[in-house]
Amino acid sequence: MREITFTEAAREALTEQMAVDPGIFVVGEGIGERGGNFNTTLGLYEKYGPMRLRDTPIVERGFVGLCAGAAMTGARPVVDFMFIDFILDSMGELLNQISKIQYMSSGRIKMPIVLRGCIGIGGAAATHHSGSYYPLFVHIPGFRVALPSNPYDAKGLLNTALTGDDPVLFLEHKLLLNRRGRVPEEDYKLPYGQAAVVREGSAATVVALAVMVPKVLQVCDELANDGLDIEVIDPRTLAPLDMATILESVRKTGRLLIADETFGPCGIGAEISAQVMEQGFDDLDAPIARLNGAHTPTPYSPTLENAVIPDQAAITKAIRDLVAE
Amino acid sequence: MAIEIVMPKLGWTMEEGILDEWIKQDGDEVQPGDIIFVVESDKALQEIEAFDGGILRISPEAPPVGSTVKIGELLAYLVAPGETPPFELAGADLAAQTLPSAAPEVSEAAPAAMAAKPVRRARDGGPAISPRAKRVALELGVNWASLSGSGSSGRIIERDIRAAAQVVSPAGDLDINISPVARRVAQEAGIAPADLAARFPGARITRADVEQLVAQRGAEAAPERQKLSQIRRLTRDRMVESARATAPVTLTTEADASELHQMRRHLRADGADIVPSYSDLLAKAVAAALAEHPALKASIEGDELVLHSAIHIGVAVDTERGLLVPVIRQADRLSLLQLSAISADLVKRARAGKTSAEELQGGTFTITNLGMYDIDAFTPIINLPQCAILGVGRIVPRQVVLDAEAQRLAIRQMMPLSLTFDHRVVDGAPAARFLQRVKQYVETPYLWLVN
Repeated sequence: MREITFTEAAREALTEQMAVDPGIFVVGEGIGERGGNFNTTLGLYEKYGPMRLRDTPIVERGFVGLCAGAAMTGARPVVDFMFIDFILDSMGELLNQISKIQYMSSGRIKMPIVLRGCIGIGGAAATHHSGSYYPLFVHIPGFRVALPSNPYDAKGLLNTALTGDDPVLFLEHKLLLNRRGRVPEEDYKLPYGQAAVVREGSAATVVALAVMVPKVLQVCDELANDGLDIEVIDPRTLAPLDMATILESVRKTGRLLIADETFGPCGIGAEISAQVMEQGFDDLDAPIARLNGAHTPTPYSPTLENAVIPDQAAITKAIRDLVAE
Repeated sequence: MAIEIVMPKLGWTMEEGILDEWIKQDGDEVQPGDIIFVVESDKALQEIEAFDGGILRISPEAPPVGSTVKIGELLAYLVAPGETPPFELAGADLAAQTLPSAAPEVSEAAPAAMAAKPVRRARDGGPAISPRAKRVALELGVNWASLSGSGSSGRIIERDIRAAAQVVSPAGDLDINISPVARRVAQEAGIAPADLAARFPGARITRADVEQLVAQRGAEAAPERQKLSQIRRLTRDRMVESARATAPVTLTTEADASELHQMRRHLRADGADIVPSYSDLLAKAVAAALAEHPALKASIEGDELVLHSAIHIGVAVDTERGLLVPVIRQADRLSLLQLSAISADLVKRARAGKTSAEELQGGTFTITNLGMYDIDAFTPIINLPQCAILGVGRIVPRQVVLDAEAQRLAIRQMMPLSLTFDHRVVDGAPAARFLQRVKQYVETPYLWLVN
């Protein structure tokens, strides 16, 4: 099978779904002729023209509100925020309108809108361009949150988002964009709420999110040389979250680490940890452990930036400590 | 400058002591020589006196009375009047005081790596156990109260339970077809898996089966569990060590104690202040015999035989707190009356818990007397590092043959003697000669009384 990058895989999904559904259009800053800051729409302007690839002024609340109206009246907007940090300027529309309208209309009004952007720390992008924020959206009822870690999942999850009725946050980690992987040419959809066991093991379970998936897998390969057999789970979507797969794994291993580059407090690790406590307490052979980035605005200095993210050594130590506990 | 008061080391083998009582209280003024607190260690209660003066300050964090405290662990401070004790200073000040001012910066990881993790305990003071281990323990019927955890935190984890299950119930037991709840009920009722397997062969055992069995056995109360006292723990450790490390052989004989009996009778009739007990008389006889048979008070250390010059005789005393063995020093050099007085004092104080740790150490031979309980011969356990122990049985009048040819019988006061010796240290014949000599000295006390 051919290997393409994460960005190419996601762009393939968008290209194909735009061909199928004329109601799909993209708005954002620099997504027209420029093809997107992260090449998310490269070549699409030539293919689908300025009506369906609309560059916008820097006024997120305005164009997100506009897209909400378009979705309510039958179109399928894709809002490309470039850096997901800019979504914060449209929170009123998102939290008070987009997440609630299906509920308020008893399902008569759909909200098929895709909100995409790049997350994560890397490349000295500084603190206005290094956020992830997904715990905020997982907290709010009404959103789906996709967090693909590889090209195959990116295409499958975006295909599903572009054909569903719900608002979806589709989050792409900057450091994953150029990673290559096997991706089928045909159209396929991946269900939301179905985690992937990306590595089987028995000594401990690691739930890894986004860029932490390849990082953790690399550490686990090294630990395997020492006879430590670690199971790694990629939830793929955080809302809905596939707790069944995590609980089943914890039932097997008795130990759980949640590895997430974002902040720890009230994060995904806290949520998973609480649910395992509630539903899998008797399976735990050690306290649940979390590995997070430092709880601080992201520094610009590359040296300091490296210091706030969990590196290979931190992952190795966290897993070893968990197994030794 | 605050002076630290720590748990003192009161004997070579002492590793921890029980903080028995504070004689001085927080805020009291202390003069050098004042008794500050009482420690129970190695079977003895010891009053600890102050070497310095000051105001006693006991931290709220200090070990509570009754707790077991490691040697050197901080108990309190003596401070000057008006001085603030270290535990009332702010944390930062405390750190500044205890760290050398020129301490090099350490990386963040280093202290965490160096600091030993404390062993986790459950809220009830029992061992901490993971939820998973608890579930498996219930499934397998393992009582985890006495287990310890193998992980870095000390918490009992699943593998500890599984290991214990295999020790407790060797292969087969785990294959019993039993529901988890039935297993739990069986465990709570103290029914062993093996009993269940024998009672219900082949069938899947349900809760009803177990409850039926419990009903048949009657409402047996669960055994009461008590924490071992310091003395019990020490006795446990020493007895096990003796049983493990020595090669004990017990010789028994019977001595005619009529002369001793007569001596005591005459002394009593004469209204003597002190009438030596049989144990005192035995101690003197043994001391005299030991002087001639030094191998019986030797000990082994590694590849060396240690020949002790002193004859220090330990006398086993049954007390409310457990078995204590106070030591009569230089028993061979004491007159019988001196020995009797010392012995009576030691026994009295041992029963009151007032002997010092020193008075319980250093014996080179032990005498244990069970005669008052109608015991004849028995096999005492050697009190390490000693070589031998003499068990004294009851003195009873018996008909004995004095002259077989003349067919002469007499009634004599007979006393059984049981000598357990460590065959690592001494052989059978020399030990037998020693016991023979003790028997002689019992039968003919004039031999040693004139010395």
